[in-house]
This record gives sequence, C-alpha cells and structure tokens, in this order.
Amino acid sequence: MIPEAFDYFAPKTLDEALRLVERHGDEAKLLAGGHSLLPLMKLRLSAPRYVIDIGRVKSLRAIREEEGTLVIGALTTHHELETSELVRSRWPLLAEAAAEIGDAQVRNRGTVGGSLAHGDPAADYPAAIVALEAEVVVASSSGTRKIPAEDFFVDLLTTQLRPGEILTEVRVPAAREHSGSAYRKLHQPASGFALVGAAARVRLDPGGKIESVAIGMTGVAVRAYRARAAEGVLTGNKPSRALLAKAAEKVTDGIEPLADLHASAAYRRAVASVYARRALETAILRANDVRGNERKA
Amino acid sequence: MKIEGQYTLPGPPAAVWERLNDPAILAKSLPGVEKLEADGPDRYRAKIQYKMGSVSGSFTGAVELSEKNPPHSMRLKTSARGGPGFVTANGQLELVAKGEETEVRYSGDLQLGGLLAAVGSRMMEGAAKKSIDEFFQAIAASLGNQPT
Repeated sequence: MIPEAFDYFAPKTLDEALRLVERHGDEAKLLAGGHSLLPLMKLRLSAPRYVIDIGRVKSLRAIREEEGTLVIGALTTHHELETSELVRSRWPLLAEAAAEIGDAQVRNRGTVGGSLAHGDPAADYPAAIVALEAEVVVASSSGTRKIPAEDFFVDLLTTQLRPGEILTEVRVPAAREHSGSAYRKLHQPASGFALVGAAARVRLDPGGKIESVAIGMTGVAVRAYRARAAEGVLTGNKPSRALLAKAAEKVTDGIEPLADLHASAAYRRAVASVYARRALETAILRANDVRGNERKA
Repeated sequence: MKIEGQYTLPGPPAAVWERLNDPAILAKSLPGVEKLEADGPDRYRAKIQYKMGSVSGSFTGAVELSEKNPPHSMRLKTSARGGPGFVTANGQLELVAKGEETEVRYSGDLQLGGLLAAVGSRMMEGAAKKSIDEFFQAIAASLGNQPT
C-alpha cells in the first residue's frame, strides 16, 4: 500500500501545469481528486515518475453558464455538480449521474475531469455527457481542442487525451425546451461502479411525438457509446410501451459487451436493455411534465 | 475465464503458420513484448512492459508452442509474472483455409493471480481481448493486409 517513489509538482496556474506535462510527457500523471490514480499507485499498478497535482489551479474549478452553454471546470467535484442549483435546474441529468458515483467520500474528493480522463468503462459521467452531446475541452502548450463526448472515449482506460494535454473543461449545450432526461444504473454492489448505466434525453414535439432522443450507455462495453439503433426506433414516433421495448432491445446492437466475474456478456446485454427502457420511460414522463408546466405558464 | 474468438487473415494457412512460428514476428506482434528469446525448441522467454491507460507493469513471461500439426493447429501456452501478479493463458489455435484466406480460431482459458485477480478482474477479459486483437492485427500487417 505504499507507492513507488515519484517527484511531486504542485503548479498554481494552467500554464505552469502545461509546461510540466509537456516536459514530462508519458512519465507524468496528473493528480486532481486522487480517487482513481492514488489507489492504483498504492497497489503499484501505476508507477508514474512524476505526479503533477493540479488541485491548486483555481481556474479549473468552476460551474458557470456561457451564452446558454454549461461550462464545468475539470476540478469540479462530483458533490459540487450534484448540488449545483444551476445544474439541477437546467441539466438535471448531470446532477443525477453525479449523485450515483461511489460514496460520499468519493463524491467530495473525486473530480469531473479526473473521472473522464481515467476512462473507466463503468464510470457514470460518460453515459450522461454522451447523451447530452457535450464537448470535452483539452489544452496543451500549442492550444486547445474540443472533442465531442461520443468520440472522447476510445477503449478501456483509454481516451483521446495525448501526453502533454490536460482536460480543462466540459461544455454542455443548452437544455432544450419540452425535454426530459434520466439516468438509470445497476450498481455493482462491491465497487459502486455501473454494471450498466443508461442516460436518456428525450424531446417531445407539441403533438407528443418524440422529436429527438439521445441514449448514452456506460458499463456495457469497453467504452461509453451512443445507442443510435435504439434512437432510430424512437425518433418521430409517439411513445408507447411497445415502442420503448422495441427500442430497448436495440441498445446493444453492434456492441460487444464486456464480461467479467460479476456479469456475463449475455447478462449485460439483457440488463442494458432493461435499464435503457427505464431511463427512457422516466425521461419521457419528465418531458411530459415539463410540457404540462410550460402550457400552464 | 474462457476466451475465444476468430480472425480472418490474408494468405493460405501455410503462410499464417510460418508467421506464427517466427520468433522475430512473434516478438514484434505480441503486445508489450520488449524482448523475446529462444529457451529451447518452441519455447521462448519474454520481457513484457504492459500499459493500458494509467495501469502499467513489468512482467517476465514464457511462451510455449506444443502439439503442433502444421499448418492446421497448435497449442499455445503463455504465462507472465510481475509486480501486479501473474497471468497464464492456455489456448488452442486452429487454422482453416477459406478461399484465399485463413480463418484462425482460438479458444482458451485465462487465469489470474495476485493483485491482478483481486482488483483487475473487472477489466481483464476486455484487456485480454484487446491484446489478442492487437496481436492478430500485427500478424495480418506482417502478411501485408488488415484482418477482417
């Protein structure tokens, strides 16, 4: 439980942090909340030569709205996101996903950027930010680039982040009217990770038909993905039990589910379908509530 | 845990067989292998540096080919031991001619011990699949094409 020796840096600004990651590249790991990296280091499954603690880079700690877009700084903790009034009222899917992460200690220390950069295939945020069509912003000494959430996750513990880059923020587009969302998750009881997690966002047209829908899935495969085949079944149709069941059956189309001690591939496929259906049902109910309230107002 | 799958590689079984039995090609194609040296007939010793995201570790390992029936089938036994624990994989490879191509079927058993088993089991099968993918992609590249 004692990590291998490493050199420690605690930059105070993003520029300083970027210079450090550029200099040390692949041999450096960034430390934020430490709830993914430190356990691995203590087990010596990870042994970086340099640890760059970005916890003092104040500019990365923020939740704000910019022209309708929600901007979440990388150092925002899960608890901050879960309890933010702005997030709860306008992007409740994110607050709902944040509330499902680990336990209170993890949510108090763990950060949005750290969780995303770690690329755990069963983390909760990926499903939500994929469904919200968010962008992940990464900076390097040569500038910044924005990566659509759907493309950010590449493989097990692997994202599009390159050595020398720092994930700085997540940008979530404006919430649309007449829309509802929900995150439904089957917890792996020992770790709290998602055996499967489904995030759904549904927008209804004035006639009650599904105008647009986005479904993000986590825990099912090596990376979070968007269940487009299922979305295709729903778009343009009036929601019904039969329609949702038909769509839910397609959430793992073209996907090779993970298998491990806790769940076989076939079981994951089955529960992915169940949790996607539940997320869709709740998202539609909420979209209807919103419609009702908007009519009254 | 059980692992199995199949790949279609360009070229006839004899060509694929030759690649799978060429230590230089094996050294280049096995993911993370830094050094592969002969340790008797059909036996190799390997130095492996494995990296997957934040997780990394050094292993020393052995590869053993047996029950060879060229160019149709063989048994492949690999084991690796290092700080994070050990991995052994024992599998059967079968080569079946499909027109101009060769279908390679593998099935086997993967066992973990130590820390890898305690904390890594959640991602181990995915990681094993990924390594096997990379291996066959490299073999296909050595045959001058991509697997289908």
